[in-house]
Amino acid sequence: MTLAMNAVQVLLLILLAPLVRGVIARLKARIQNRHGATVWRPYADLVKLFRKEDLVPDSASFVFRLAPIVVFATTLVVAAFVPLLHGSALLGVSGDFIFLVYFLALGRFFLMLGAMDGGSSFGGMGASREALVSTLAEAPFLLALMSVAILAHNGSIAGMVQWTIGQSFFQFSAVHALAFMALALVAIAETGRIPVDNPTTHLELTMIHEAMVLEYSGPSLALIEWASAIKLTVVMALLIALFVPWGIASSLSALALVVASLVLLLKIAALVLTLALVESSVAKLRMYLVPDFLGVASALAILAVVFTALMR
Amino acid sequence: MGLFETAAAKALASSGVFLFMTVLLIAAAKRISTCIALFSVQSLVITAQIIAVSRMHHSAEGFVVAVLVLTVKVVAIPYVLYRIVEELQAPRDVSSSTSASQSVFIAAGLILLSFFAVRPYVGVLGGDQAMLAAAVALVLTGGFLMVSRKKALMQVVGLLVLDNGIFLAALTTTFGMPLVIEIGIVFDLLMGVFLMGLFVFRIRDTFDHLDVSKLRRLRG
Amino acid sequence: MILLLPLFIPLAGALVVFLCRDPRLVVRTALTTGGLELVAIGVTVVSIHSQGVLRAGRYLRADGLTSFFLLSLGLISALVLVYSSGYLRHVPEGRFSSLRWFYGLVLLFLFTMVAVYLSANLGMMWIFVEATTLASALLVGFYNTEGAVEAGWKYLIVCTVGIAFALFGTIALYLAAVKGGVSPQSALDWGTLIDAAPGLVGGQELLKLAFVFVAVGYGTKVGFVPMHSWLPDAHAEAPSPISALLSAVLLNCAMYALLRFDAITSRAIGSGFSHTLLLIFGAVSIVVASLLMIVQRDLKRLLAYSSIEHMGIVAIGVGLGGALGLYGALLHSFNHSIAKTFLFFTAGNVRENFGTLRMERIRGMALSLPWTGGALFLGALAITGMPPFGLFVSELVILTGAFSTAHYFIAVLMLAAISVVFGALLHHFQHMLMGKPEDVPVQPALQASWFVVMGVCTLCLVVLGIHIPAAFAAVLRGAMAVLQS
Repeated sequence: MTLAMNAVQVLLLILLAPLVRGVIARLKARIQNRHGATVWRPYADLVKLFRKEDLVPDSASFVFRLAPIVVFATTLVVAAFVPLLHGSALLGVSGDFIFLVYFLALGRFFLMLGAMDGGSSFGGMGASREALVSTLAEAPFLLALMSVAILAHNGSIAGMVQWTIGQSFFQFSAVHALAFMALALVAIAETGRIPVDNPTTHLELTMIHEAMVLEYSGPSLALIEWASAIKLTVVMALLIALFVPWGIASSLSALALVVASLVLLLKIAALVLTLALVESSVAKLRMYLVPDFLGVASALAILAVVFTALMR
Repeated sequence: MGLFETAAAKALASSGVFLFMTVLLIAAAKRISTCIALFSVQSLVITAQIIAVSRMHHSAEGFVVAVLVLTVKVVAIPYVLYRIVEELQAPRDVSSSTSASQSVFIAAGLILLSFFAVRPYVGVLGGDQAMLAAAVALVLTGGFLMVSRKKALMQVVGLLVLDNGIFLAALTTTFGMPLVIEIGIVFDLLMGVFLMGLFVFRIRDTFDHLDVSKLRRLRG
Repeated sequence: MILLLPLFIPLAGALVVFLCRDPRLVVRTALTTGGLELVAIGVTVVSIHSQGVLRAGRYLRADGLTSFFLLSLGLISALVLVYSSGYLRHVPEGRFSSLRWFYGLVLLFLFTMVAVYLSANLGMMWIFVEATTLASALLVGFYNTEGAVEAGWKYLIVCTVGIAFALFGTIALYLAAVKGGVSPQSALDWGTLIDAAPGLVGGQELLKLAFVFVAVGYGTKVGFVPMHSWLPDAHAEAPSPISALLSAVLLNCAMYALLRFDAITSRAIGSGFSHTLLLIFGAVSIVVASLLMIVQRDLKRLLAYSSIEHMGIVAIGVGLGGALGLYGALLHSFNHSIAKTFLFFTAGNVRENFGTLRMERIRGMALSLPWTGGALFLGALAITGMPPFGLFVSELVILTGAFSTAHYFIAVLMLAAISVVFGALLHHFQHMLMGKPEDVPVQPALQASWFVVMGVCTLCLVVLGIHIPAAFAAVLRGAMAVLQS
């Protein structure tokens, strides 16, 4: 029964990811006084792309065609690590937070390879920028997750969720606050949102992620776009699960699950709103300031880990 | 009511966390108005602490002090500073001699330093270790802001943060001093801010810039 | 009730001045207030010595120490007001720069300092010490030049930070008192604390912590090195009468606060810790100040460093412990006030005549400005501790105290510093006095007020150098009695 539930969780994540993206885009448009496209637009885009032809540059090798598949696969696996409605995850094992970080890194690695394999100069530029951002984001990502794991005495994300539910909401823990701030900054870098990267830009010189996928088309592009949406949703779900998991179903009864779904919807809505507001009010950082941004995240994450010793 | 009470009590006990957050955020801030807002938040947390302590000791004077701190430090002084920022019509960035990540690292280091500095004195001074460490961290961060920020108004903000730290240290150790003294202290601070604001305008008028690191005419 | 007089006379005077429109009326009001204040202080001093400790309500208190410091404040402030009436004939235009603002702020400044002296309560004392910074900041920046604004800003910021530390020290002392059983309502009252002090031994760590913070905090306002960075700027850029007030009265005010804390701490845990700290601050101050005096190029900055050095000597005197050191310290603070006022008034004249205070551009004063030059010469002799001036006596007493309490190193250090100062001042002043006057300076006629003021100063210095009058000695002994109980 739990297994089925967990599989449903993963399916939900996968299927709802484009909707999350659509809602964010619509909210941003509203905030900026535009109409914006309908929230179902990403689904329409995916359907359209799946029906189109996959064009491969002559100079590309098998890596170019392999990359989208690897990216999508790794993102699916990562989605299976995060508990959504219920305190366990499909692939939840002790130490899965490390898996999470490195599966995301694996996907990114292949994306970079594919971008360079495509042969365009923008692909190379995007890949090198992405390498910089991801290198700097890896340490705070791991450290922040580690600090929460140390406090919870548990190596799996599901375990951390269970521990956090047992704490009182009002007893603010310095470690969690610091880890949250660090992870929020890292999340922005990982998912390629403003102020690190603009997902809707059409100016190639300002692109990081978009530059890497310039050469892709058809189903390959669909897979990459979908994977990117899933990544965004997974990171959001991770933030919610680690820091505000109250409301998660403790039993598998229908009532508990319904309540958990509603609460989850609320939390995601709040995060989506925050992200839309932040993206509309903050300017994208110039590339040379991004290391500084991630340096702040690193400092916060290091402090979080040190605090686990102090708060004993 | 019981639920609210316990929730409030727990939140207040961990309000040191909020103060540490403001310390880190104020170190990373890029605009003067952000720093002023963070100072206001700090003062709000301190006001909450005052109210909690007053309830615990059933002291009516404490509530008067809380109202005073609220009006002066949370509302009046930030408002005055905002108006000064607007009137100055100068660039509103915090000209810092350290980058954002360097500042946050230093602030983090200061927080750790304050924990270690406070450890041997917890028995002597009484009070909660986390709050006392937060107070020392505020003092150190205020000092850091004054030294690393080049804008005159940022020196004022740094001074206010430092003063907040000392006020908090007083609060956690003594649970309040005679009312007249508290009023006098807050009034002094308000007057001080007015005077400093005046001087900021004078600096701008005399020097045509607000960079205190360039005020080096008098040396030796 | 008598205590209310010296407190409210300057306040009332300031109010009247601020409401006045006519500049001449402003000056006359200020002078009258100064005179009345001097009389009020005189009456207070006499009352203290006939009735012992005076109290008024919960917050005002005056004892022997108060009377001693009030005396110096009254004398210097009267002299400063008289001198200002002659000196400030041309006031630069500016938002807060006018005769009205000058005298109003000066009187307000006096009010805050009198309030410090008359405070019964350590918290009240803190509030008014901070108020002195606020009241004098605009006076420091009075001329609105680049240097003045910079000096005023530095003064405001550095002193406010220092005072914040002193606040923490005050609170720590309050905490120690409350823990030691004193009721919270009166745990900041100096009289109560002094009586309860022997019972506070249990809070040793806390008392030491408190004193360290107070020493650093109020020490900033006294001008101890390394917290002195504001002092040379502020004293140099302010108008000369204000420099005199800052050097001669405000530094004493801060030292008074330190002395009050030292009395409590010494009574509670013995004087070892606090006096050692004072000795360290004093020694460092005199060494650094004397060395820095050699390289000064501005006359008033030179005088400012001299103030730092003399405050260091006072700190050493107190830190030596024993009757001799304390007597010397108190006497020295009084003598220094008068001598420094004398010198700043001379500097004011130099500025009027030469238009600058850069010593390299001032030459041949002995020939071109005989009276001012002579005053400068006399002032130099006085401030370096030459007989027959008062500083010789006080420095000698302190040195004797150092030898008698076996602080040989300190004594040698002090002698060395004084010698360095003597050499530096001799070098600078000789350059200014000797030689041919290069350009004939403007020579406005010397005001009668100047002669009066300088005459009074010289008289005091000489009298104190030759034979301390019995009445003054009684006041001095009263002050010592308070600190030595």
